[in-house]
Amino acid sequence: MNSLLEQFLSEARDFLQGIGEKLMQLESDPTSHELMVELFRFVHTLKGNSGLFDFPEMTRVLHASEDLMDAVRNGRVNYSQKLADQLLDAMDFVGMLMDEIEATEKISNKHAAPAAELTKALRNLLTASEAGSESSEIDDILNEITQTQVAENSIDWESLPTLNLPEDIAEQLHAHSLRGDSVFWVEYTPEADSFFKGEDPFYLIRQVPDTEWRNVVLNSTVENLAEMDVFNSVASYQVLTHAPAEELEDLFRYIPDEHRRIEIPALAFVKPSGNTDEHAVDEDFIANVFALFDKGETEEVTRTINTMLELSAPDLWSSSALRWVLRLIEREPENKAAQRALLESLRTLQSPDWSELKPVETVTTIATAPPVRNAVVSTSNGSNSVVDEKMQYFNEVINAQREILNLSGFNEGRLKSVGASLICCYKSIGRSQDVDSLELAIKNALAENSPTLLLKWLEHSLENAPELVVAEKIPAPVNNLAMQNDVKFGRRAEDAAGRKADEPNAVTASKTLKVDQEKIDRLMNLIGEMVVAKNALPYLAARAETVFGVRDLSREIKAQYAVINRVAEEMQDTIMQVRMLPVSFIFQRFPRMVRDISRKLGKEVDLVLEGESTEADKNIIEALSDPLIHIVRNSLDHGLEQPDVRIAAGKNGTGKLLIRASQESDRVLIEIIDDGKGINPEVIKHKAYEKGLIDEATLERISDQDAVNLVFAAGFSTADVISDLSGRGVGMDVVRSAVEKVNGTVGIESEVGKGTRLYLSLPLSMAVTNVMIIQSNKQIFGVPMDMVVETVRVPRSQIQSIKQKQTTVLRGRIVPLLPLNDLLASNMPQLPNENDEFATLIVRVHGEHVGILVDDFRETVDIILKPMTGILGGLGGYSGAALLGDGSVLMVLNPRELM
Amino acid sequence: MKHILVIDDAATVRLYHRGILENAGYSVDEAINGIEALEKALVKPYDLFIVDVNMPKLDGYGFLKEFRRQDDALQSPAIMVTTEAGGSDKQLGYMSGANLYITKPIKPNELVNYARLLLGETL
Repeated sequence: MNSLLEQFLSEARDFLQGIGEKLMQLESDPTSHELMVELFRFVHTLKGNSGLFDFPEMTRVLHASEDLMDAVRNGRVNYSQKLADQLLDAMDFVGMLMDEIEATEKISNKHAAPAAELTKALRNLLTASEAGSESSEIDDILNEITQTQVAENSIDWESLPTLNLPEDIAEQLHAHSLRGDSVFWVEYTPEADSFFKGEDPFYLIRQVPDTEWRNVVLNSTVENLAEMDVFNSVASYQVLTHAPAEELEDLFRYIPDEHRRIEIPALAFVKPSGNTDEHAVDEDFIANVFALFDKGETEEVTRTINTMLELSAPDLWSSSALRWVLRLIEREPENKAAQRALLESLRTLQSPDWSELKPVETVTTIATAPPVRNAVVSTSNGSNSVVDEKMQYFNEVINAQREILNLSGFNEGRLKSVGASLICCYKSIGRSQDVDSLELAIKNALAENSPTLLLKWLEHSLENAPELVVAEKIPAPVNNLAMQNDVKFGRRAEDAAGRKADEPNAVTASKTLKVDQEKIDRLMNLIGEMVVAKNALPYLAARAETVFGVRDLSREIKAQYAVINRVAEEMQDTIMQVRMLPVSFIFQRFPRMVRDISRKLGKEVDLVLEGESTEADKNIIEALSDPLIHIVRNSLDHGLEQPDVRIAAGKNGTGKLLIRASQESDRVLIEIIDDGKGINPEVIKHKAYEKGLIDEATLERISDQDAVNLVFAAGFSTADVISDLSGRGVGMDVVRSAVEKVNGTVGIESEVGKGTRLYLSLPLSMAVTNVMIIQSNKQIFGVPMDMVVETVRVPRSQIQSIKQKQTTVLRGRIVPLLPLNDLLASNMPQLPNENDEFATLIVRVHGEHVGILVDDFRETVDIILKPMTGILGGLGGYSGAALLGDGSVLMVLNPRELM
Repeated sequence: MKHILVIDDAATVRLYHRGILENAGYSVDEAINGIEALEKALVKPYDLFIVDVNMPKLDGYGFLKEFRRQDDALQSPAIMVTTEAGGSDKQLGYMSGANLYITKPIKPNELVNYARLLLGETL
């Protein structure tokens, strides 16, 4: 993609974001003139940018938006909800087009109609008060679009489908086309799941009026009938029809993306078909016909061909071609070129390539070329056109100066600039001899501080030698004019930078760098490797001392390690900071989302965002996005009540939704608080029981808080009817697992009738994990420190068996004990220390404390945790592996999965 | 070498103009609004200005008005490039101190030709 287009897309996205935000702000402050002006500027600039490229659909919509915002800004149109909706729609459309441009670098034809619709809607808002005077103009645009498509399509032979029609059908269609009925080729490819959307492709295609020909094409071959999925639509339907375009438009209006309509020019039907096995036509005959044809004796040609036809078998290719020649002579007598081409084809037995032939009668090309300033290009005499063009530029600039000089309110600066412009112009076209007198005139004009003298000089000069310049010889560098349109952008960037550096006044451009995300990720990986590599030094020191017995060296290595360690840690922190994103990155889409959803549900919601500047690592923020959206949707859908219900319950009719982010030591806390109807634990309990998530005993004694927590259980969804808002059957368990994937936790508190508070606690960064190393069965394992509550040594005497499960009482609380060897399915017993105490790691799993019996504890280390991939990826119980300083691999346990 | 200052708040447009003008062999500096343009134009003489109209902080009219008032600055020609067609805007542009008023999007060869003309170079 060229850099200009890239720049455009990147900047345009910023603008779209900005427009969205301003509209939101305007919603809460609908009278702010400042906001309107800013909004206008955004739309205006975006439109200007899009004009640099050939994206007429985009520019058209933006233009309408700009005009609308201009009217709003000037108070001609009042700001309204509807207007905001319409503008947001338009911007969504533009965003969609940009996605397409990003993917394919162009916009496909199919967007023309929606673009026109949007434009029309925007214009309607604009002219609602002015009795819709402009709407006819829009219809013109709409018509123009269809017509341009027609014009383009009939020329663009490449895009035409290959037609293999029976001759009688082709003949009829040809006749229709010549009669002025547009013949359309419609291809309708339903999406694979269209049967589930209530579409009936076969019925629809049979509804196409005035169909002359139909065809069904399979898009994928069915290898094995038994494996065929009969609910998948795999066919494309093709028809040829001479129905009016509007009827077709109307018929397919719900599936604009799934159908393609192309107008077929008459000549495309002229395609002889039949048996080509024998070379049926002898050269004498062809030569004879050509001779007659060239003399213009059409009747003779017709008679000869008819005779030939009587003698030949009708199913021959040549017979078909001859019949077509007759039809062409009858129907398009003026189109000699086509007739000749067809006769020529008798020699090759190949259909003529009509794309090489300009159809005379079919296309009345509609002038769609943009107004070009330098349109004067005479083909007869190249040098003249150059002079003409040059003079055009000259005249334009000179006329501008004359216009300026006729204006009032001059100051020295303006006079000087006009003078400079004139001098340059005269020099440019080689009239240096005039420059002396011009300079004098400027000097005098400046002395009088009045343009009069300069104006006089200009008039005089133009009167005396208006054509002088035209007659002059052209200087050498003509090729400047032929400068290609595709300028290589950025090629000279280095040169420019070099020049700038040489200049004392060069100004530093900006203090913010935009860096490719990949580079940061790479840096992050590198620093990760560095941290691990650095950890090798303590091992080296130990070896120096124990293996080689050089204690001094060992001490020096340790000292050096301390320095490297400090630098590495600082580096790591800094890079981590670079990766930090504010949560506003996710929060910014909530106003729009909440607004759209609440409107859809008929609820009134006051959204409050707090702590948007709280930062967290990019990966965390990204992982957070989907769960948060899900939670917010849940709150809106299930939490907050309809206004009348709220008022009946004595609450404010407008619900309140608070989304707050804050930092708590090394974690980010995100809370979603609503003042809705809360979660009724009784309902949850019974739902869970019905779904078999809890048994009867649990049903009886489960606490209310525990019951509420059941919403996180897998397969739990309380909504009786799945609404399209809160997802389809994916419940809060998906949220929980998404959050846990990034080492976060999620919790919920709710009070019936008062509201619900959902909170997510996430690590600031997940690049480096702090783990505790434990030993069990002569192996070492890592356990993430954020799961470890404490480490204790439990004497064997303190371990009781309850129902064959080991437990102990720790500070008045029963803690179940699980030997790690059992969890890992090795049959070895855990080894106690010399005092017969078991090393026990107390971890928190789903809010419960559980003790894991291990053989011994070791140190804690910072590691880069790499998730397991490939065959090992299926191993539950491990969250990943890491490389230790001595090069060995540490398996990191995932206690949640282990139990 | 001739120096041109491109003043536009849209980075895309600046890149476009810069690409065209640098290819034509000029040195190009950029300013993102009228204020920045003034800051740059008052410390370094430019041979030509390409000025957008609608910009935040200080628009193209404002920039030209202020710049044309500077007695010791090199008063080079200014091309106002805008999407806002219409007579009154054009007049306002000329009153502010523009020497040419053209409508976006400007084609590469047009921009180069106008620049050459206003820099006194052969077309």
